[in-house]
Amino acid sequence: MNDRHIILRVISKFLIPIIVVYALYVQFHGDYGPGGGFQAGVIMAVAIILYSLIFGVPAALEAIPAGFARGLASIGLLLYAGVGIWAMMNGGDYLDYDFLVEEEEGGHAGQHLGIILIELGVLFTVAGAMVTIFYAFAGRVAEIRDEDW
Amino acid sequence: MNVGTALISVGLLTMLFVIAVAIVRMRNLFAIVMLSGTYSLISAAWFVALDAVDVAFTEAAVGAGISTALMLGAMLLTSRTAKVERSLASLAPLLVCIATGAMLIYATIDLPALGSVTSPVNAYVGAEYLARTESDIGVPNVVTAVLASYRGFDTLGETAVIFAAGISVALLLGFGERSLTASMKDKSGRGRKL
Amino acid sequence: MSEFLSTISEYWTVFRPWLGAALSMLGGFLALVGAIGVLRFPDFYTRLHAASVTDTGAALVLIVGMCLLSPSGLVFVKILAIGIFLFLTAPSAAHAIANAAHTAKLEPVTGRFGSPGENVEEHGG
Repeated sequence: MNDRHIILRVISKFLIPIIVVYALYVQFHGDYGPGGGFQAGVIMAVAIILYSLIFGVPAALEAIPAGFARGLASIGLLLYAGVGIWAMMNGGDYLDYDFLVEEEEGGHAGQHLGIILIELGVLFTVAGAMVTIFYAFAGRVAEIRDEDW
Repeated sequence: MNVGTALISVGLLTMLFVIAVAIVRMRNLFAIVMLSGTYSLISAAWFVALDAVDVAFTEAAVGAGISTALMLGAMLLTSRTAKVERSLASLAPLLVCIATGAMLIYATIDLPALGSVTSPVNAYVGAEYLARTESDIGVPNVVTAVLASYRGFDTLGETAVIFAAGISVALLLGFGERSLTASMKDKSGRGRKL
Repeated sequence: MSEFLSTISEYWTVFRPWLGAALSMLGGFLALVGAIGVLRFPDFYTRLHAASVTDTGAALVLIVGMCLLSPSGLVFVKILAIGIFLFLTAPSAAHAIANAAHTAKLEPVTGRFGSPGENVEEHGG
């Protein structure tokens, strides 16, 4: 039926998991090289957008529902703000990472934990927001046949 | 900055200028979206030439990657060509742009040299971040340390802005379920496949 | 036998940067050739072929050259991973563009070069 696009389907089936793994690599290596939450969230959203371009928006909506994307964005922001509240509950200022865990003087465990958690929050929010925006655009377009291009 | 880096920067900035002029003069929206993606990619190359790899990475991912895809999606909702503008109507904006540009170029005479050690950007807080990251945070990448720990409030604000943008687009344009319901009415199950 | 291998490895360490530099320059030359082709070719499909020379050929030759110039094993593996990714995606991108043009009924220019086109049917290519 759609044998015209078989090359793209095979290549993207092979590459979309690799793109997701690359997004996670960029996320967790933000401490040691260029990277961090923003880039990783965008790369993760690009993987989902590639899937929906090749296999259709309804297939993508079944894999990553629109409500899930919205919820993911909200959870990311709550995670980030929650880290600040956790620091306040342990006696420090808002978003003061030194008070997150009990540690000896001069240790960096709280800073590392705080940075990992907020970068995770940024990843969730950016990926969720980008996927939501894409679904909002793609969900309204009438089905354009290939000849109309 | 030695001569080689300066030449590369001048070359890349000239390409950016040419692309910007081309974007303004074109009327085919598809070509304009593609050129804006090229603009972002050459900006990313210029940022690498200036030794700002984190910024270059983000610019390449966001500008050349997802922004092009979203602009194409938005372009599908409107039309393929831009409207014609009467050339007389753009005379007053042209004069405003020329005046503002001249004032900005006049102001750059007073700026410190690029990368100079004594400039306020590199001397006061910046130098202290570079000196204290090792002992305060212990993370090798100073950009992440500044972004996530020293300026964590700003990053929280940025994340909130991205969240607000996503939610407002979803509220304005719909939550994306229309295409799914439309294709469920069509019993053969064909979606919008390529 | 081991002496022969050690002389080979000596020659290799001397020869490797030169080979890497030569391959990088070859990649740059291929990119230039591709750019000139995109500007000078008459038809969309021929221009797409020239662009794919830049995208696939020049990029992969540059990657092999950089692999030879890499200072450590980790950098070598990372550059190799980028090369494999480019090898997979650049030809599929060119294929996708040609596929889209063909689906939109853009006919290639046929006939002899320079002949008054009885076969020419270009929709703004």
